[in-house]
Amino acid sequence: MLLGKIVRSSSHIDYVCQVYSPGEVEQPPVPADYGFGTFVRIALETQPQSWLVGLVYDTVLLNPDFGNLGPRLSPQAELAVFSPDYLQEKATLIGITALGTLTETGQSTQGVPALAALTDAPVEKMTDNQVKTFHQGNLSVRLAYMPLLMSQGSPLTLHLLRDIISRLQQFFPEQSASLAVLQRELIWQSQVAPFGGRS
Amino acid sequence: MIDSNPIGTTKGPGQSPHEFTFVSPDPEQTLRTGEYVAYEAHVDGQDRRILARVTERYPLRLFPDSFMANPAIAPDFIANMVGYDYETGASDYELFQLTATILGYYDNTLEDFINPRIPPRTGWPVYLAGVDELKSVLSTKKPGDVGSAHIGSLLSRERDAVPVAVDVQAFASTHLAIIASTGAGKSYLAGVLLEELLKPYNRAAVLIVDPHGEYSTLAEMANLNEFTLATYRARTRVYQPGEVKVRRGALTMGDLRYLLPNLTERMEYVLRRAHRDVQRRAAADKRDPERWTLAELMIRLREIGEGGDDGEDGDSHYKETAEAIIWRLESVLNQSVIFDDFEHLKLDELFRPGQCSVLQLNEVDERQQQVMVATLLRRLFRARMATQKHETDRGDELYLPYPVFVLIEEAHHFAPAGGDAVSTGILKQILGEGRKFGVGVGLISQRPGKLDADVLSQCNTQFLLRIVNPVDQARVAESVETVGRDLLRELPALTKGQVIIAGQAVNTPILCRVRTRHTTHGAESINAPQEWVNYTSDEAEQRRARDMALPANVVERGSLEDFLE
Repeated sequence: MLLGKIVRSSSHIDYVCQVYSPGEVEQPPVPADYGFGTFVRIALETQPQSWLVGLVYDTVLLNPDFGNLGPRLSPQAELAVFSPDYLQEKATLIGITALGTLTETGQSTQGVPALAALTDAPVEKMTDNQVKTFHQGNLSVRLAYMPLLMSQGSPLTLHLLRDIISRLQQFFPEQSASLAVLQRELIWQSQVAPFGGRS
Repeated sequence: MIDSNPIGTTKGPGQSPHEFTFVSPDPEQTLRTGEYVAYEAHVDGQDRRILARVTERYPLRLFPDSFMANPAIAPDFIANMVGYDYETGASDYELFQLTATILGYYDNTLEDFINPRIPPRTGWPVYLAGVDELKSVLSTKKPGDVGSAHIGSLLSRERDAVPVAVDVQAFASTHLAIIASTGAGKSYLAGVLLEELLKPYNRAAVLIVDPHGEYSTLAEMANLNEFTLATYRARTRVYQPGEVKVRRGALTMGDLRYLLPNLTERMEYVLRRAHRDVQRRAAADKRDPERWTLAELMIRLREIGEGGDDGEDGDSHYKETAEAIIWRLESVLNQSVIFDDFEHLKLDELFRPGQCSVLQLNEVDERQQQVMVATLLRRLFRARMATQKHETDRGDELYLPYPVFVLIEEAHHFAPAGGDAVSTGILKQILGEGRKFGVGVGLISQRPGKLDADVLSQCNTQFLLRIVNPVDQARVAESVETVGRDLLRELPALTKGQVIIAGQAVNTPILCRVRTRHTTHGAESINAPQEWVNYTSDEAEQRRARDMALPANVVERGSLEDFLE
């Protein structure tokens, strides 16, 4: 499912995607489609086709009317008629961090990708199968992007990873015990360590 | 063969100027504590290979504790999961920092290590020391050389890869100590040492003082090829308790005082007078002053008690004192198997090149053991001194024309710390001066903490086996200067048959695995549970019942009822 397009980036792995609003695509996404921790893929211009695999880690709402407390000449209901541009200026932006790449044949790499996405590159929500393929390692579930995420030091990272691991436990029930080792540590780090708990 | 593949890379200086650190992945786990490594450096205008000993090792990479949260899941599996790509269990993630003490390069002229006094630069390759290199530098002697004692092989290498031989000349002149806790293998090691001393390339004149009767198995040497060469055949003489006599005349006043403890001042005065007088009388009769008899001493004591015959005192107020001393002399000297008026084992019988004499002292009272060893050592030292100074000649009692070595088991009985044992004095004298006269002493003890510190510190070659007791460890650390702190830390962790050899008989302290004995080990502990089971087995019970049964033709005694009828 198409979610939006890349509008800018702040680093090689950190992208901003503007979510399609009604009218831009046939089926505009609803907030549940681009929630926190959603795996997305960003098309790369390669042959054969490959994608950057990314993760929604942030959501920002753009509203030019914010702070404009004065009365408007046009009532809200007539804006579509008198000032359609204004409506277009309201947007939802999602922050995406790139975690690796995925090819058409299902081959995946995790870690900092070699190629960057281009502006306007379409961003799609990944299916459960695609997510599973991306995490399938030789011996076990593969979470090689995890140290990179943790090193970014965002307070949201721990929660993001907890969320990912919970989902992976459903995809890979046979690896649940190993994943639980990481999960428990993340829970401790996010819930107890801030109070001074040692690990 | 010198290995050309580096095993690590120097990192920087250690805590002291003669230490350095290096880093190694050590995939084969070869760099154990005590292992020898080498680096190459330009010293004094030449490229030298500097040898060093690994003293510490700690891992630089450790898994986070959280990876070990589930004992059923290996931490390397979790590491693999988060992207640490390697084969599980291959341990190729490991990296170690090792500290090494620089021994230096070996100078063949000085036969010792010369410390370059400068640590290696950072980034230099470090090699595992080669087998031949170690064979040639660890000790000055090679196994089989005259004056060598093959104790075993280097512990950090495979069994027998690098044999360790110590210099007999060094410990036979500057003494040795074997220190170990019970059961660490000190008697076994002493057995190996004695075997080496009796090999055709040493043929030592050696005596072992054996308070527990553990060394009689050395007699097997006579039938083993290892101890035979052309006309030479190692001999072992085992002297049972009572077989070796101490002539009463050889007892000094100190010995007598020691044998008769708690003498009052009055008693001591009387005894001293009587002792002096019998010696004078013997001299006056043109006899050896040490050839008085117990009867003479007692007669003289009676004379003193009865008022004296030489007019010195002229009163009889020593009568009771003299009687008391006579009674005590009677019970100690007359009823003991080890004292005799005339018999005195000849030194040249006890000490003979190619002969190991085992002096068994089990069943002998501890004080009498001490007096026996003291008188023996005194005579031995006097004989060697007189022979060296050409004061005696063939046929004289005190003529002993070859150096000797005495090994003393349970040495803390003979030179106790802070004690007044009569043997301490002569032991100290021999340890101090024995070198000049060819008397070497080896002390074996399981309680170095109870051994006189001066005595221990004068043993210049040390064989240290496992020592667990902290007091004993402290005494060893205090008295043994040549063993570094790093090796002393190893003491409680050594297992049976592993020994640290340090001091003058080796070029550098060596961690050694003791070789297998040729003769049977005689000090095995009794297997009590097995013996109890054997005793109560059906077969044993039946045999005892059979042995105890009355003969068939004996008429059984009648019962009480029969008698009454």
